[in-house]
Amino acid sequence: MSKTAIAWAVGLAAALLLLAGPAVYGDKPYIMHLFITAFFYAILASSWSLLAGYGGQFSFGHMAFMAIGGYTSGLIGKFIRFTTAPSQLCNDFKLPGSEWWLVVLKPREVGTIQDTCLDLAKQSTLPAGTFIVTPPIWASILMGVIMGAVFGLLIGALVLRLRSTYLALFTIGFSEILRAAISAEIPITEGQSGLELLPLFPKGVSFFGQQFSSTSKIPPYYVMLLLLIFAILLMTWLAGSRFGLFVRALREDEEAAAALGVNTVRYKVLIFVITSTLAAAAGAVQAHYIGIITPNILIILQMSLVIAMAVIGGLENIYAAAIGAIIIQFMLELLRTSFTVGPVTVDMTVWRLVFFGALLMVTLRFQRNGLLAPLIQRFMRGDVAKEVVAIRERQAEEDLAYAAADAAARAGGPINPAGETPGEGAP
Amino acid sequence: MIELRVNDVWKNFGGLQVLKGVTFQVNGPELIGLIGPNGAGKTTLTNILDGVIKPSSGTVYLNGRRIDTLPPYGVARAGLGRTFQVTRAFRRMTVMENLLVPAMAKHTTARQKDFEEKAMEVLRFLTMEHLRNEYARALSGGQQKLLELGRLLMLDPDIIILDEPFAGVHPRLMEIIYRYITEINAQGKAFIIISHDMDTIFTLSKRLLVLDYGDLIADGDPAVVREDPRVKQAYLGEEEEEPEWEGVGSKE
Repeated sequence: MSKTAIAWAVGLAAALLLLAGPAVYGDKPYIMHLFITAFFYAILASSWSLLAGYGGQFSFGHMAFMAIGGYTSGLIGKFIRFTTAPSQLCNDFKLPGSEWWLVVLKPREVGTIQDTCLDLAKQSTLPAGTFIVTPPIWASILMGVIMGAVFGLLIGALVLRLRSTYLALFTIGFSEILRAAISAEIPITEGQSGLELLPLFPKGVSFFGQQFSSTSKIPPYYVMLLLLIFAILLMTWLAGSRFGLFVRALREDEEAAAALGVNTVRYKVLIFVITSTLAAAAGAVQAHYIGIITPNILIILQMSLVIAMAVIGGLENIYAAAIGAIIIQFMLELLRTSFTVGPVTVDMTVWRLVFFGALLMVTLRFQRNGLLAPLIQRFMRGDVAKEVVAIRERQAEEDLAYAAADAAARAGGPINPAGETPGEGAP
Repeated sequence: MIELRVNDVWKNFGGLQVLKGVTFQVNGPELIGLIGPNGAGKTTLTNILDGVIKPSSGTVYLNGRRIDTLPPYGVARAGLGRTFQVTRAFRRMTVMENLLVPAMAKHTTARQKDFEEKAMEVLRFLTMEHLRNEYARALSGGQQKLLELGRLLMLDPDIIILDEPFAGVHPRLMEIIYRYITEINAQGKAFIIISHDMDTIFTLSKRLLVLDYGDLIADGDPAVVREDPRVKQAYLGEEEEEPEWEGVGSKE
């Protein structure tokens, strides 16, 4: 069995275990919540590792794309309706070739709990029997994903010529602008109060003959897990394709890659689009799962958490980053338990962050490839390392023999052991 | 038939005139040396040919196609490959992956498997086949230089520009690079070699271009160029003194 086959088998076993997990802990909402959040961060950390680790694009705007996904989905749920008659009080757009109207609700004034324009229309302008339909959750999530891709394209194009520090500063700026704009546009986004979203399955859902309510954690668990599995499979395929080859070449040396025929612009933009899309998908699902999204998700601390997860797991390995995210999410929860040593009570709700920060610093100082990636690397490439050591030793011996023969030839001595006169033919 | 036409290429950076109407042609698989004192404009000319920078005026045609308006990847795909003065291997990629990059970039619908055998042939030619799975960062400086040459073989351009291929290399490695140039040239590829190693460049090249402060002051047979008073002046500052390459050809 090849090492690649073993790796796939391990991945498949892990996926099956997680898929079967709710049979064990499905009745423990807290554990389920931890898993869902861990999967969410695993998508973010692994997609960021594709962007930064594979592509060398150290963006601090990843959470912004996540927020774009969440807010887009939420805003569609809040403002978009389909009706069979024009409301006349909201912004109405006739859908060509159908009897339906797209109605965009008007933002309410700050501090009021007045009816929406559609509520008012129902009481006045809308004929009786008019159908009013809210876009399905999956459609609004899809729009969130598309919006993430569009912004990924935009930012990717804008940062084409930016590298390292400048890229980081630009993306921090983008993230902060988005946070400020969301906070300021209270009539639309509800500002710091947060935008409420419908649950992933507002009317509940049934599968395998079992009915789950809208508040059950089992459906979101599977949605997020399947999204994570999809993201990992997609990124695995991409990493092994020409895309993976080229973005890594870009990371190493953009100019050299271009001189060898790589369309650097296309792949730099593409990696932003792909990773932003994944972040937006995770954000949209998570926002519907939690039921509310606030601009605080965009604070630098949140982005730092994702980066720390990827770095501690292993930046240049999407699997290590994903596993790192899951482990750290659980560790952060486990470390909440405060304890007393003699007269001193250690409040771990505060100190756990210190522990976590220290772990990050130690990793960066002593294990820059992360804590998990080297283990995976060792398993996958252990034989290459042994082979290379053997080659090095053999080459050193050959070089010594060559140098001795060269010296002998210059002194008019015999030809070298390989039977060639130095200076002629291939070594 | 390989044909590179460089027509009246000028380049200025602000007030600094780096190239002043450089014109020359490459016809067929020529083996050309490009020399000149520091600051002569060799690297700028290379960067213009490669598409990294655009000329202030003038045109460059490769096999009838204008390439000075193309981005670097377009120039590479059109048939012009280059190495850099400082070796630029993709250090955190394996040797095999380094070789696959140009092949995959040029053949946009190909799969990696299609080129693995060719990559192995290239590695055998460079006596590096045992290092195929090693990361480029683990190679010696000389091996990284060979890897750069291998990548060009995978790109399979018509014209290869080598920027200082002999700088700081082991004599044994020099043999391989020398063999690389002569054998690949014999297979029908044109070379433009920039080097400060006068012994080697005079021995190796069949035609010599000399740049001095952006002017192409000589273009012809190395033996003739060697005696050109302007070239002597450019290198030594004085026409009468012996040039620094005196004694070149003693290896022959």
